[in-house]
Amino acid sequence: MTASRALSLSRPGRLAGRLGVPLLLAAALAWPFLTVRTQPYLLQLSLNILIFAVLAVSWDLLARTGQLSLAHAAFYGLGAYTSALLATRLHVPIPLAMLAGGGLAVVCAVGLGVLTLRLRGIYFAIATLAFTETLRVVAKQVRFFGAATGLVVPPLFPASLVAQYLVILAVLLATLLVSWSVNRSRWSFAFTAIRTNEAVAAVMGVDVVRFKVAAFALSAFFAGLTGAYYAHVFLFINPFEVFSLAVSVGALVAPIFGGLYTTAGPLLGAVVLRAGEEALRATIRSGYLIIYGGILAVVVLYMPRGLLGVLTGLRLRRPPAVAVTAAPPVGGEGP
Amino acid sequence: MSLLALDEVTKAFGGLVAVSDLSFEVRDGEVLALIGPNGAGKSTTFNLISGLLAPDRGRITFDGRDVTRLPPPVRAHLGIGRTFQVMQPFHDMTVLENVMVGELFGHGTPKSLAAARRDAEGICRLVGLDHLMDREPAGLGVADLKRLEVARALATHPRLLLLDEVMAGLRPPEVDQAVQMLRGLRRAGITLLLIDHVIRSVRDLADRVVVLNFGRKIAEGTFAEVARDPAVVQAYLGEADA
Repeated sequence: MTASRALSLSRPGRLAGRLGVPLLLAAALAWPFLTVRTQPYLLQLSLNILIFAVLAVSWDLLARTGQLSLAHAAFYGLGAYTSALLATRLHVPIPLAMLAGGGLAVVCAVGLGVLTLRLRGIYFAIATLAFTETLRVVAKQVRFFGAATGLVVPPLFPASLVAQYLVILAVLLATLLVSWSVNRSRWSFAFTAIRTNEAVAAVMGVDVVRFKVAAFALSAFFAGLTGAYYAHVFLFINPFEVFSLAVSVGALVAPIFGGLYTTAGPLLGAVVLRAGEEALRATIRSGYLIIYGGILAVVVLYMPRGLLGVLTGLRLRRPPAVAVTAAPPVGGEGP
Repeated sequence: MSLLALDEVTKAFGGLVAVSDLSFEVRDGEVLALIGPNGAGKSTTFNLISGLLAPDRGRITFDGRDVTRLPPPVRAHLGIGRTFQVMQPFHDMTVLENVMVGELFGHGTPKSLAAARRDAEGICRLVGLDHLMDREPAGLGVADLKRLEVARALATHPRLLLLDEVMAGLRPPEVDQAVQMLRGLRRAGITLLLIDHVIRSVRDLADRVVVLNFGRKIAEGTFAEVARDPAVVQAYLGEADA
């Protein structure tokens, strides 16, 4: 066992694992029971934060292969529409309909992944944006999909906000588990190699196509599932909301803010951003978005590894010039 | 018996024919040097063999199997490894992790992370990088980056190793070390195809030499034979005049 950066990054992580993770988990489980009677608004807000966190953590999975996607809203919307239509038109049980929503997102992600294999950087971003916009226009124009008025969606656990909270918490935990496992496996070596130099990765035997498409599929599944959840909890969807650029941008801002290519970073980013946004809105009536934007700009410019990088003190180990794309916790020790 | 064979391989970029009707073979266990003036098509040939480029015409056979249309990772799995002339380390990884990529995804049976780490450490010791394993490539000097290139390629456990100017930019004692190391690889049974401008290392290492000029093979033989060849002399002097 050596003291590589990957391990030095996982050392505070391991400490957090011993103490922090069980405590956080206990707090997250107790939260709905503590708030449901006294602060239902806070609990409602928590659903939003957890949805946002799933989007952020799943977006980061794909980002680890070097692909900057603006298609997260597409998968989110696909999940929402698929589940809503299956439940209303075919009376499919809601949990099954939600899984189907995630499934269709995977199918579309594989297709899009294969089509965009050779695109990188800004070209990839534009192609994925075009994909999202196309879906939005289709949903807006086709009557079967509810057109511009949208769809009314049957509820999941209509009587219980607590149950709704526990469902999205479970989805988030599954997403985090996948993200964490990927970063501790050989996949993280493949992802990082592809991100840093695709040609070299390929001649060293990394099956670039397979790993890129797999990352796309994993990332899309959780986005689709969360979109479906959103539909069945907020009970109404329209093309402007679920296929919105704001969803895609939100999903990428949180990991950059919190710490790219990590499991804790996107989670931290999502919680801090969404909770902070709400706190600012409550305290500063007008113009809170200016302050929000200012904080975001400072973090992106001066904390190249995001909040997580600051917390673990890693920013001191490397000059910022190289750290623009932040470093992943590649590897870790073997099993 | 031949491990690698190129059969009338041609590759053009627009109007520029980089490699033209090139045929040669690399025998199992030998060291073959590919030499020629700048722009002769040596690096393009490496890209064709490793699969980063597809030829316009011709056939490439490795170990009796047609690999002309196979993608790079499949060729790596079959046992073709390579280094790059311009060092291209993975910057978000330590030196050891760079090498582990080869152990994890190269030629041979899949192994656990622990096994890959152990074997990568062995390769780092072999090429003299053991004191730098936990460093990031950003701070390394030219000689160490060259070692890392070789270490990563070796970690894929190649049967045929393509070495693209691994001696360039090294100081004479470092060249001697590199020659020693390559001799060791050869003794270990790895077939070597190398591009090099350091004449002394070519003379000391290569069993045979193939000379390229303007994408064509102009000579082939032992070092002594091609050094006497008028076409080779002219190609090199012509370049010197220009």
